Amino acid sequence: MLYFLNGGLLAFDTGFGFWVFITTLIFLYAMNKWLVPPIMNALKEREERIRDSMESAEKALAKAEEISRDNEKALKEAEVAAQRVRKEALEDAELLRAERVEKAKKEAEKLLEDARLKIEQEKKSALNELRNQVAELAVESAAIIIKSELDKEKSQHLVDSFIKDLSKKN
Amino acid sequence: MIIEVRRAIASLVILMVFSPALLAENADAQQDGAPIDVMGKVTNHDYFELPWGKVYLPRILYSGGEMYFYSSTERALESGEFIAEEGAGLVRYDGEPITMDLSITSHLIYVWFSLIVTFIITFLAGRKYKRGIGRDIEPKGALLNMFEALFVFIRDQIAKEFIQEDKYEKFVPYLYTIFLAITLMNLFGLLPWAAAATANLTVTATLAFITFLVTQVSGSKDHWRHVFAFPGVPKWALIILTPVEILGLFTKPFALAIRLFANMLSGKIMIVCILGLIFVFTELFGAAIGVASGIFWVLLTVALYFLKALVALIQAYVFTLLSGVFIGMAVEEHHHEHEETSVAHAPDVATQHN
Repeated sequence: MLYFLNGGLLAFDTGFGFWVFITTLIFLYAMNKWLVPPIMNALKEREERIRDSMESAEKALAKAEEISRDNEKALKEAEVAAQRVRKEALEDAELLRAERVEKAKKEAEKLLEDARLKIEQEKKSALNELRNQVAELAVESAAIIIKSELDKEKSQHLVDSFIKDLSKKN
Repeated sequence: MIIEVRRAIASLVILMVFSPALLAENADAQQDGAPIDVMGKVTNHDYFELPWGKVYLPRILYSGGEMYFYSSTERALESGEFIAEEGAGLVRYDGEPITMDLSITSHLIYVWFSLIVTFIITFLAGRKYKRGIGRDIEPKGALLNMFEALFVFIRDQIAKEFIQEDKYEKFVPYLYTIFLAITLMNLFGLLPWAAAATANLTVTATLAFITFLVTQVSGSKDHWRHVFAFPGVPKWALIILTPVEILGLFTKPFALAIRLFANMLSGKIMIVCILGLIFVFTELFGAAIGVASGIFWVLLTVALYFLKALVALIQAYVFTLLSGVFIGMAVEEHHHEHEETSVAHAPDVATQHN
């Protein structure tokens, strides 16, 4: 009935084994050569890309965090610096103002002093001038008098001595 | 949805109960006594069985230095060049036995069919990857995702796990191919009219032989040194160790072949036998009890079917896993820096091998 079974269940059928061996080998060769490598490469490529992009994302995140940390730090520093600058500026301004006020005061005083001195000088020179003119006028008047009445020289002498006494008295 | 599935399973069970029972009633009509040919269900045939009939397959015979081609066994007998002999199968008219029977057999059809389906699955998936789906963007569709889950499982859980990091890629195609092909061969055995090609020792032995070839061809220097000059043992011990190691080379594929073969064969035989109990009961106690007990036997068969489906996957996985382990052991390169002190390393080596 079975024209096939050369041997029982546990027998190795050479012809059948030959077919299985040859076809499986050829098939494995084809799979190894053409069919599976593209799939392997595609999966590998994708996995690598995912890994790369994840790594770069992580790096970018770390960088961004670092930048934001830096920014915060810089902001704080800037704030501190700004406060310090403001404080310094205020102090400086205060100092400057005081200085200015002082200087202005001094200048005003000096001006006042100068004015006083000048007034004094003017007063002196004016007095001198007045004195000279008065003397001249006196001399002239005396000359006129003496020309008419007295010896001119004697009179002059008298007037001079009088004026000297006058300036001494003064 | 669940109700529909339940209804479908129930009607299937009823159908399965009645058809063997009806067959059993006709059992007496058959001449050769045995209502079911249990062994015939699992052995190789010269015909390919379909649900609606048999397709006879061509015979290619090599006998006495000549090749003979026939479209079927019947044609071979009709030609008068071959005669059927009791117990020996076909022999040439002059009594010359067949040197090599290269006939296309039912199991060979299933082997080829599995390989073709593997090819189609891989080809279709590969085409999608080439088009960029799965490479440039995420894999789309349930089928491609299923394929990828399978492929990545073989690559990461078997190849990468057991084979050295820089060498595993070379073996992924082999492991993937045998896994898919064996799974398909096993699953074909679940079809009632079909047979699992892996329930044939020739097929499993050939597959194991291919694993053996791959293992030995890619074996590293360390692999061979471990066989012929196990490092770190006294010279006299090699007299015992070397034969054991050489034997070990062959026992590994032998175990692979036997494990797959026995598992696949036993499932089919068990199912046929349990269904056969319907016939036995019918013969012993009459048709009524035969049919009634059939409900129990069929339920048992259904349970066994689920188990068989599980075993089909597990055995394919085990075959692939062990192939990966054997290849990994063979290609591994140890770095013994000091040969003299390698006795101290021996426990390390042993644990690596386990």
